[in-house]
Amino acid sequence: MSLDLKSKLESLTEQTLKEIESAASSETLEQLRISVLGKKGSVSEILRGLGSASPQERPLIGAAANTAKEQIELALHARKAFFDHADIEKNLARERIDVTAPARKIYLGGLHPVTTTIRRIAAILGRIGFDIATGPEAETEFMNFEAVNVPKDHPARDMQDTFFLGPGVVLRTHTSPVQMRAMRARLGRGPVRILCPGAVYRVDSDATHSPMFHQIEGLWIDRGVKMSDLKGVLQYLARELFGSSTRIRLRPSYFPFVEPGAEVDVSCFKCGGKDSDRHSDARCPVCKGTGWLEILGSGMVHPRLFEMAGFKAGEATGFAFGMGVERIAMVLHDISDLRVFFEGDARFLRQF
Amino acid sequence: MKISWNWLSEYVDLDKFGTGAEAPRALAQLLTARGLEVEGIERQDQGLEKVITAKILERAPHPQADRLSLCKVSIDGKSSIEVVCGAQNMKAGDVVALAQVGAKLPNGLKIETSKIRGVISNGMLCSEAELKLSEESKGIIVLPSSTALGRPLAEILNRTDTIFEIKLTPNRADCLSHFGIAREVASAIGQKLKLPQIQEVAFTGSPISTTLEGGEDGLQFLGAYLEAVKIGPSPAWLKDRLESIGLRSINNVVDATNFLLMELGQPVHAYDASRLDGKSLAIRRAKPGEKLPLLDGTEIALAGTELVIADAKKAVALAGVMGGGNSEVRDTTTQVFLEVAEFSPTLVRKAAKAHQKNTDASHRFERGVNPEGQSFALFRLIELVTKVAGGKVVGATRARHGSREKFVKSEVVFATDFIQNFLGLDLDVPRIESILKGLECEVKKSGTLLRVTPPSYRLDLNIPEDFAEEIARVVGYDEIPATIPTLSTAPTIHTPEYTQGALIERAKDVLVQIGLHEMLQYAFTSEPWLREFDAALGAVRVLNPISEDQSVLVPTLLPGLIWHAIGNLNRNFGSESVSLRWFELRPTFHLRGDLKIEATSETETGIQEKLRLACLLSGPRVDSSLRSEAGKVDFYDLKALFESFFEKLGTRGIRMRALTATDEGSTRWYHPGQAIEVWAGKERVGVFGRLHPGLEKKFKLRQELWVGELDWAPIAVLSAESLSAKKFKPWSAWPSIERDFALNVKGDIESEKIVQSAIKAGRPLAQVVKVFDIYKGSQVAQGMTSVAVRVIFGSEDRSLQEAEADQASTQILNAWKKELGIELRT
Repeated sequence: MSLDLKSKLESLTEQTLKEIESAASSETLEQLRISVLGKKGSVSEILRGLGSASPQERPLIGAAANTAKEQIELALHARKAFFDHADIEKNLARERIDVTAPARKIYLGGLHPVTTTIRRIAAILGRIGFDIATGPEAETEFMNFEAVNVPKDHPARDMQDTFFLGPGVVLRTHTSPVQMRAMRARLGRGPVRILCPGAVYRVDSDATHSPMFHQIEGLWIDRGVKMSDLKGVLQYLARELFGSSTRIRLRPSYFPFVEPGAEVDVSCFKCGGKDSDRHSDARCPVCKGTGWLEILGSGMVHPRLFEMAGFKAGEATGFAFGMGVERIAMVLHDISDLRVFFEGDARFLRQF
Repeated sequence: MKISWNWLSEYVDLDKFGTGAEAPRALAQLLTARGLEVEGIERQDQGLEKVITAKILERAPHPQADRLSLCKVSIDGKSSIEVVCGAQNMKAGDVVALAQVGAKLPNGLKIETSKIRGVISNGMLCSEAELKLSEESKGIIVLPSSTALGRPLAEILNRTDTIFEIKLTPNRADCLSHFGIAREVASAIGQKLKLPQIQEVAFTGSPISTTLEGGEDGLQFLGAYLEAVKIGPSPAWLKDRLESIGLRSINNVVDATNFLLMELGQPVHAYDASRLDGKSLAIRRAKPGEKLPLLDGTEIALAGTELVIADAKKAVALAGVMGGGNSEVRDTTTQVFLEVAEFSPTLVRKAAKAHQKNTDASHRFERGVNPEGQSFALFRLIELVTKVAGGKVVGATRARHGSREKFVKSEVVFATDFIQNFLGLDLDVPRIESILKGLECEVKKSGTLLRVTPPSYRLDLNIPEDFAEEIARVVGYDEIPATIPTLSTAPTIHTPEYTQGALIERAKDVLVQIGLHEMLQYAFTSEPWLREFDAALGAVRVLNPISEDQSVLVPTLLPGLIWHAIGNLNRNFGSESVSLRWFELRPTFHLRGDLKIEATSETETGIQEKLRLACLLSGPRVDSSLRSEAGKVDFYDLKALFESFFEKLGTRGIRMRALTATDEGSTRWYHPGQAIEVWAGKERVGVFGRLHPGLEKKFKLRQELWVGELDWAPIAVLSAESLSAKKFKPWSAWPSIERDFALNVKGDIESEKIVQSAIKAGRPLAQVVKVFDIYKGSQVAQGMTSVAVRVIFGSEDRSLQEAEADQASTQILNAWKKELGIELRT
């Protein structure tokens, strides 16, 4: 009896494995599974005869039934995997696309190079303690000139051709009035460590002059600030901005808001100044063969400005410097015409 | 300012700079390093380097060409070379200018051995025009037969000078002359300065005396009366000097005055004394309406604020600016009155500006002349005039203001260690003293103080810092070390603008993330363009614009973005639509209330600057070249842009609603059915939507523009909190229940109302309410819309029961029915 059950299981297994092997589709497999392993399937039916088996035989038959189930399941699984694989393979071919067809591009925005250049400079100088300060673009003539030591009817006024908006009201010609506002906001005490970026305006328009352009000015006021500090800060800025081998050269110059004043040249980052022959035919396109780029004006804050800002005489000293943002952006990005910054051409904007 | 090497070397020995081409460069370097920036060096012999004198030994016709000659020329009188020449004005025996092979002429021509009609030519015989010696010329240069052969032509023509273009800063008035530059050079290289020759006279005996009638306006008026002067052409040396620096020779007396100006920097003037009325000349203010004919042939009407030189009857010169045509030296003049004066710099500047006569004289008076230099200048002028035009001095006269009778330049006092501390440069006191003395300063040391008196011509040295610059200049800015300033512990005070600035930068970053490009426009625009948008009223005008196109300041950013959009569309000749995705965030300019534009205090301008944010979207939604994907940007893209912007920026409390008022201001720029107004609190801060089809048509736009503009300040207030740090919000760990509703909606009920109604009625369990489908069409009745809404119910602290969701759903359905008359679709 018991042997009978066992051999039934064995022959069922053998028979089922054969059928699995020859099954044509995963649907056939599923039917097989139900008919053999299902609640009402062949295995269950065989096991119903278990009641007549002796208690000693029962575990043996149970084990045999489990073995049979496992074998069948394994075979089913393997065969199923074969069909799945075949299905996927079949789809793969159908799902083939032309991967060389054009991509659906993602719109990537971008900041204007004037903004990125300001940020670049602000990040460099921010690391050594400078903050940002801003101010109005329409200024009083007083703040734009008198307060920064450019008196009325002084020839220094000719250095900056001014747009007028009304009696005593101008478009600022430099960001220096922001320095004065910041100094005044400090209530006559230091320290002041600020960068003033922003649009400025001068009556001038050609390939190298724009009626509107941007400046970034720096101001550092504290007790005991020296001219060598100015040089150090500018040296640091130049190296960070143009590369570690950059040298700077200070030349005496005159700006009414500083004394002493200095023009600052930076060694050409392209040719390193090696190409410094004005008359050479193959002169460097960046420095025009001079080996130097004029990019900054600077100096020690004029005592008149301290007075104007309400500082006690001798309380503090300071240095200031300023540069044209577009000029630096032009050098950094190989842009040769200043006007392109403001012409709103998508072909320009998209490149940044 | 042009400075001639040869002229300069009359006052200072320049041998130290060596010879040849390097010498001018060495001098230029020195000047630039001392703050006198040399912008250009021009050698007069430039292009003449390989042009030498040669003699024509034989002239024969060219065998192949009638109009050409074949010349045998020699540079040593013996050996010769053959040159083909096209000119006709030469003959055998003439001395001519030969450009040798290898020469590069001033007109750019390179001379090479070349075959001309079958004959080899070994150079070129030059004309004046080819060498840029004159504008045009006939034939080649033929020199006097006595001219030495084989000599550089430049040497023979005395074109050996080098001219420097110097860019002087306004503070260095003392360097506005050859003598001034020479003084700087002499001091720099330790050479002695050679003073020009003078003819001293006593201040007496002049038939014309001078008076000061303007107080401090006219500080000095010196003069000399010369008779038997003979007006005529200037001698060659004088002409050469003036022409070398670009001045035209006029006649000997006028040339002498111009020479003096360029020599000493003191402007002077010569009058025809016979044309002066009365026995005295005065410096006085002009009379209002007074007419004055000037040397340049124009006549000006004086306002009354100017200073003039006047005789008994009339003004004869605009003081410090230009002489009068009514007293000008003429060919027949024999009696000359010479003027040397000092005027108020401010008045000269104002007069020159008002009458638009910027002259070499006004340029120098504006910057200030040496208050102690007038007598010397007069003596020098007498020397020059009598040398070039003969005549003899009848007498001289002098009127000086009290402050000039005895000129006292004030002393500047500073601590001995000031310079060292201020520059951060190691310098001992003796070195400082010697540098200052080298600059002709008087230096007295008393204890720890230095008392320094600068020379009278250094009007720019008034405070200790000025002397710090002098020291640094002389030592060399290169000697100053580079240090990093000490970061003091005193805190920096963050200004409100600083915080504001940080938020602006963050906003820009977000807009870039959204895929927009930052646009920067001029702050200027044109009034007609603003009128297209009815936005010209109250715009701030520029009083002196560069052009009408740039005559007003932008009161709004959108018209400009639209302008640029049109420009970009017009530049596009392709068949694809143009993708425009821009933002701009910058100030706009407005009148402040009822104020006029006028400085009413040190800082008040009457203008208010408002930061605005403007955006423009247009073109394909997806940047793909496949036609099947070519959807265009529409309203919901624009809306997404603004929603994402506020979300990412952390702006709280912004409300959006369909545009209501469409008749005021900028609302008229938008399609009334495709626009949203943005509210911050009780303030409408802006609008976005489709550009009004009327404007689209007017501007002939080929694609729709989706635009918007918002006031920045209220948005900044609502976003400020997020700057410090966004706060983390935990989500519910409990499962939620989702219910979908298909609604039959009558007419034009906005989906936002349906959502708001559900949120209110479903509180607190309805966590998310969203519209996920809107359908109008054959499946729904006329005038009805099918709207599908999904509500997600949940709780922060427990797993929700189905019954609770059912109950909340019922509340929502009731609210929809009661508030909006909406029922479920059946």
